[in-house]
Amino acid sequence: MKNWIKLEFPGTSVNVGFARAAIAHFAAQLEITLDELEDIKVAVSEAVSNCVVHGYREKSGNVVIEASYEGQRLEIVVEDFGHGIPDIDAAQETGYTTLPEERMGLGLTFMRECMDELYLYSRVDEGTKVVMVKNIPPR
Amino acid sequence: MVRFSVKVVGQALVATLDGDLDLHTCPQLKDALTEAFEQNSQAKHLVFDVRHLTFIDSSGLGVILGRYRAAQERGGKLFFVKADPRIQRVLRLSGMHRIAEFVDSTAEALDRV
Repeated sequence: MKNWIKLEFPGTSVNVGFARAAIAHFAAQLEITLDELEDIKVAVSEAVSNCVVHGYREKSGNVVIEASYEGQRLEIVVEDFGHGIPDIDAAQETGYTTLPEERMGLGLTFMRECMDELYLYSRVDEGTKVVMVKNIPPR
Repeated sequence: MVRFSVKVVGQALVATLDGDLDLHTCPQLKDALTEAFEQNSQAKHLVFDVRHLTFIDSSGLGVILGRYRAAQERGGKLFFVKADPRIQRVLRLSGMHRIAEFVDSTAEALDRV
């Protein structure tokens, strides 16, 4: 059976905690461990934080999250419609950040570590979409 | 939401964290730690009691790392008290386990400085 949800909310920091809690609740419909849920919370938190800090830096806009599962494959898509990433290869290097005073440049690294697959799409002045997949082992 | 207290014990700043530390909640902690550092020139070590910390991501870690850099300039060390396995995993992913010491109590941290 395929199940899915779609969330849309303003890209402000107060919604980061809501987003990870909501997606964790959705993922909890699967046979999932607490450690796997924690991984999902970290990945969603990083993805939505990036939308707020980088996507909507000096502007406002919405974040859209679509989460779905079929069998034990969970897919989470986090999208903003903000600035976009000029150099997508550089952005994926560990430690890369445009805000070195505040950020560690570990957001994408954390997402990769916590999920099984990660795909990043971005266009300057149009936005950024990150697609993350976690395969939950059958139990 | 995160609740925290910051106090000075000898040459250490001891911060007790309770709740989720993320992009939204970390600025409050950053301001409190920065102010405590500026007002207490003898403080050089950082002790984070994380037994009640329920979540941390790279935003929260960034605040801790930033204050650790200030502590390093004073010759200070970084300690985490009672980090549970999930918090330890995030600390490991960030590489912070290489610069921090993990202890079971604030007293143990203070003994090691």
